[in-house]
Amino acid sequence: MPFTAHALRYEPEKSFPALYAYLHQRAQRFLGSLRYDSDEVDLVVGHVIERLVCLGLIGGGDHAPATALDQLNDAQFYAFLNQCVKNKAIDRLRKRRLLVSSVAELDYAEETEGESDRDPLSEAVEPAWGPPPFATPEEVALHLASQQELRNLLKHCIKALSGAPRQFQAVLQELEEMGATELLQDVLTEIQANMPPLDAPLAHSSQHKDHAHKKLRPCLQAHSTNLAVIVALRLTEYVADATNRGEVPIQALAQETLSIHDVQQGLRQLVTEGLLAWNGGETIHLTAAQVKHLSRFYKEE
Amino acid sequence: MNDHKQFEGPPGQPGSAELALWLQRVMTPAGIAGEPAPASVNNEQPALLQDGEDHLRFYQQLPDFVMALLNGSTQIDIRYASLLYHLLGCPTCHSAYLETYRAMRVAVQSSMEPLELSQPALPLATVPPRVLVHLCQSLIRQAELVLRASDQDESERQASARALLRRAMQVSTHMMQMRGRALQDLVRVATLFERPAEESGPQPAAYTYSWQLTGGGARHGGKVLRRAETPTRSPATPPDQPTIYIQSHTLEGSITQQGDTLELHLQDLDPSLRSRYLSVSVPLGGLLEPVRWLGGNPRAIRSSTPVDEHGSLSMPLGETALRLTNTEERNLLEVMFLRLEVRPLK
Repeated sequence: MPFTAHALRYEPEKSFPALYAYLHQRAQRFLGSLRYDSDEVDLVVGHVIERLVCLGLIGGGDHAPATALDQLNDAQFYAFLNQCVKNKAIDRLRKRRLLVSSVAELDYAEETEGESDRDPLSEAVEPAWGPPPFATPEEVALHLASQQELRNLLKHCIKALSGAPRQFQAVLQELEEMGATELLQDVLTEIQANMPPLDAPLAHSSQHKDHAHKKLRPCLQAHSTNLAVIVALRLTEYVADATNRGEVPIQALAQETLSIHDVQQGLRQLVTEGLLAWNGGETIHLTAAQVKHLSRFYKEE
Repeated sequence: MNDHKQFEGPPGQPGSAELALWLQRVMTPAGIAGEPAPASVNNEQPALLQDGEDHLRFYQQLPDFVMALLNGSTQIDIRYASLLYHLLGCPTCHSAYLETYRAMRVAVQSSMEPLELSQPALPLATVPPRVLVHLCQSLIRQAELVLRASDQDESERQASARALLRRAMQVSTHMMQMRGRALQDLVRVATLFERPAEESGPQPAAYTYSWQLTGGGARHGGKVLRRAETPTRSPATPPDQPTIYIQSHTLEGSITQQGDTLELHLQDLDPSLRSRYLSVSVPLGGLLEPVRWLGGNPRAIRSSTPVDEHGSLSMPLGETALRLTNTEERNLLEVMFLRLEVRPLK
């Protein structure tokens, strides 16, 4: 085999020439009548190379985390690269506004008659299995808004704003204006005490809203936040069994998707937020108040 | 701006559409609100570096996320919540996700045999220089992305970034042309590692030398260097000895090798430096293990003798088994001396 994902990761100087030769050959095939345009070929090949570097596959060694691409067999890996080149080539053809029915394409079709290759743009249709999930930002947003686990994360981050009352109020007012009342009610139920009325006037609300958004963005993307919410949910599920008496072994929280390290990271985040006390031991001890607090806010509906 | 009508929430989930619209508003920073995700981004790494955020952590999750989708995993929302929020606000990463999904979807269902290439083993030198330039630049940009990673501690980030910069340097040793362009950001990214005012002291460099790379002018630290045509051989340099020539504006210097010892030869230094000891800093010196620097710190190599009355100085820099007489090893040493800074010792 001229090159493999493993060789690219650990011995790029030896395997890169073969990778380049393969990508170059594929790019020329899929670019059709643009195949003699060296700039276009370079663009397609360069795009795939950059993608592989970014994913840690070229020269990543042990420093870049292994991914699902490292688990593909050689045939699958070649198919992956082949498709990457093809998709980029089709993208370039579209950008150059080449028409299937143009004379150039007809000449190309005649020239390659008998070969198994078809015109590249004619293959540029969505396959029978349909478009990918989350194909647009709107689809992503709808999914985030409609899934309970993801709404829990959002509630957690909005609740974290309560330390900055004006920003918190600005966000709640915005939610009300947007008509997102269900989430609003969830948060208000938890944080009702010590907050001004929702319709109280707020000076510089636009500025407070912007600051709040700036805090929400990193919170929602923080891995520690996600882990904190997951661990909180699992804690509430575990203590729902009255016989446990508020004592939760860490091992019980680490299931197939969470390692012990993940659980510990989530617990540390919950400690930082004042939701429980934990000294790093093997068992978490929850008071009745903490159980009640976690259950009310993080329970699954 | 997004039209409210684009959001139609699932039945039985009142308020989802409104919440989705609000989320999109929150996660899309000012300036790119309402812009459609590009069908394909030509230069992803520069786009990821633009806003100073940590994108790499999410980008490198994409293959695993896609595989989970393809396998119909029920744990996607729990495991990839932060990635989903990121994709909502980052057109570059979202575009990369779509491309990765489309390619992996074909790959996991593939049963095709890989093509046998007619050239099973090719040396790096057979790859066109422009492609190696692109590879080196990608590796250097990747090092910069790694330095921003928020899910690793500092020592891990630096080790990863150093490894990538070493790769770029090693790839460049196979290039006889365009090395300047390939490594144009190497010094800048390598100096992102440095600790402020620790080894080199708070004072600016009296002189900043650079090895003149052929095939493209190099820009170093904002100082415009006159391109050397045929550098004048330093009087201290024995004839016919393999030499690396360096230059700082109109001043020239050289680096030679005696056995394992690399020696620096400077001349025509300012009268204010005469009779003074100097400290030499090689910013890229920490990237290469095969050089044992005098004193152990490539950012603070102290001269053993002061600058003489003629403004000349010769001093050992360190020891290495790499040889200036070997083309690839010489290329590697030349890259290391892309930048050399000289300061007077107090």
